[in-house]
Amino acid sequence: MDKRSLVSIVDDDESVRESLPDLLREFGFEARSFKSGEEFLASSYLERTKCLILDIAMPGMTGFDVQRELKTRNRPIPVVFITAQRDEDAWSRPLKEKAVACLLKPFSDTALLHAIRTAFGTE
Amino acid sequence: MDEQDKHPGEEVKRLERFINDLVSLQALPALWSGGDPSQIAHILMDVLHRLLRLDLIYVELKGVSGEAPVEFARVAQSPVMASQVGEIGAELHRLLGDDPQKWPSHARRGFEDRDMSVVPLRLGLHGEIGTIVAGAERADFPEVTEGLLLRVAANQAVLSLHEARLLSEQKRLANELDRRIAQRTAELAAANEQLKLQVGLLQLIPVAAWTIQPDGTPDLINQNWLEYTGQSVDYLLSEPEAWMAAVHPDDREVASTSFWNGVRSGRDFAMETRFRRVQDGAYRWHLNRAVALRDADGKIVKFVGTSTDIDDLKQAQEALRNTQAEMATMARAMTVGELTASIAHEVNQPLSGIITNASTCLRMLDADPPNIEGALETARRTIRDGNRASEIIARLRALFSRRLATTEPVDLNEAAKEVIALLLSKLQRDGVILVCELADDLPLVAGDRVQLQQVIMNMLQNASDAMIDLKERSRQLLIQTRRDEADNVRLTVQDNGIGLGPQAASKLFDAFYTTKNGGMGIGLSVSRWIVENHQGRIWAQPNDGPGATFSFSIPCRPAQLASGG
Repeated sequence: MDKRSLVSIVDDDESVRESLPDLLREFGFEARSFKSGEEFLASSYLERTKCLILDIAMPGMTGFDVQRELKTRNRPIPVVFITAQRDEDAWSRPLKEKAVACLLKPFSDTALLHAIRTAFGTE
Repeated sequence: MDEQDKHPGEEVKRLERFINDLVSLQALPALWSGGDPSQIAHILMDVLHRLLRLDLIYVELKGVSGEAPVEFARVAQSPVMASQVGEIGAELHRLLGDDPQKWPSHARRGFEDRDMSVVPLRLGLHGEIGTIVAGAERADFPEVTEGLLLRVAANQAVLSLHEARLLSEQKRLANELDRRIAQRTAELAAANEQLKLQVGLLQLIPVAAWTIQPDGTPDLINQNWLEYTGQSVDYLLSEPEAWMAAVHPDDREVASTSFWNGVRSGRDFAMETRFRRVQDGAYRWHLNRAVALRDADGKIVKFVGTSTDIDDLKQAQEALRNTQAEMATMARAMTVGELTASIAHEVNQPLSGIITNASTCLRMLDADPPNIEGALETARRTIRDGNRASEIIARLRALFSRRLATTEPVDLNEAAKEVIALLLSKLQRDGVILVCELADDLPLVAGDRVQLQQVIMNMLQNASDAMIDLKERSRQLLIQTRRDEADNVRLTVQDNGIGLGPQAASKLFDAFYTTKNGGMGIGLSVSRWIVENHQGRIWAQPNDGPGATFSFSIPCRPAQLASGG
């Protein structure tokens, strides 16, 4: 696993956007956060992103919309969904969409690290 | 005179008899005095019969003031049956002519198979009183003296009949007068009875009733009022506002204003006040209503009014209001299940931040060398997110706990945004595209933030539900706020769903009316209750295209609420 790999975060919640990059940097990754799917898709970091941590419920594009758009653009970035929702959709759909993992907020640091490692195929 | 020459003794006797007869006739008026025309006619016939040895006597008296003529007759010595009198009269008219005025002064005619000398005499100068016909079979009738006697008798009769007529007219007038007096007396008695009944009714009807003069002075106060308040008539009439002593001290100012405004307006008026019931000292709500009575010129004669004890009704209303409040709580409780996911979402967001920050903090401290500055920053963020979570929980608690309505300045935009945040994920799951058009310069309204949010939530959920079965077009939801022309703040939720049925629009806001399966139909009625408590109104209308638009508007600064805040 390349320690300098870029992990991008897309979440409309500010506290997540503030806290996650610091943790990811503690893990040794480069981290960038975006407040919407649209912002991420329009940014130059898209090309460099090796793993995407993606919130499901957001105004505008949802996490699933973003994932679909990536497929359309033929940019198969591994996705770790994160959600505060605890309904059936949160469990079944990410699996169906071939996500790496789906973490329910709040999640532990080890659970996140485990998911990212899975994404990079190192575990 | 041949006879007189031949029989001087006879002649003297005849003259003596004649003079006697004349004297008897002179006595007739005394006999007739006070009698009625028919008595006079009968006596006249008797006397003439006796004096002149008549075979027929017929009297016709003309009717007074349009009455039919009356006929009398004697044949030989016997009185004639009433039924025959008319026949005799008719026979005479046949023999002598239709018009008695033109009858000859003497004629000899065949009357009922006998020849008879008849002498008609007019009563009155032109026969205006009537006619007498004297008849005898004797060919010498009437002798000179007999003619004289007849005329004297007729003249006497005219005088007496005239007098009798006057008398009878006077009697008739007197009777008429008596009748009218009696009638009027009866009418007055009836009216008096009616009046007594009406006053009695006013006294007895089972509400307090009263009348007021146009200047507002009490006039008549019924027993019901006196017994209820324990006030006496003398006291009540002592000054215009004496009745006010029975009004609850807190209501006096309003009552006085309403009362005098009502009296001055000259129109019907109504007001609600609490009156003290002397029996137990309880102040009970009354509905007071007054009606202005006017004369033909439209000038007010007095006000008539009633005071009805509506305290029980008020309490029932209060109970209903409490029930509605409970229903509101129930409606909140019903949404709890649906909103669990949203609540989890709201709370888990900051929790997620807290845990991530705390983990980061530990890792920074654990590093070699420890990243103290980074650890401090993440610890600060942990505290901030903790506070944020606590605020969210407090807000949710307020939303789902039963509590009294509070009044505070509410920014409807902010309130709407919070509701949208709660519903967003659900709306997205339902595939609803939400567009917000919130006005920038929206003034604050005074009200209960949580209650208003409940209305907004209800509107959004209804709109979303209305679009659930939509397949052929995208589900679009528009929420707008704006300040309208009447200085109200208006919030509108528009969907493009199934729309409103024609009869639904009128019943939408009734409790338990619903078109949804599994719904209790309480949401909109509670919404209306809440909006109306904010002096606002809520309504629904079909869109020009598909779907419906629900709106409510609230005054920017409702006076009653604003003064409390």
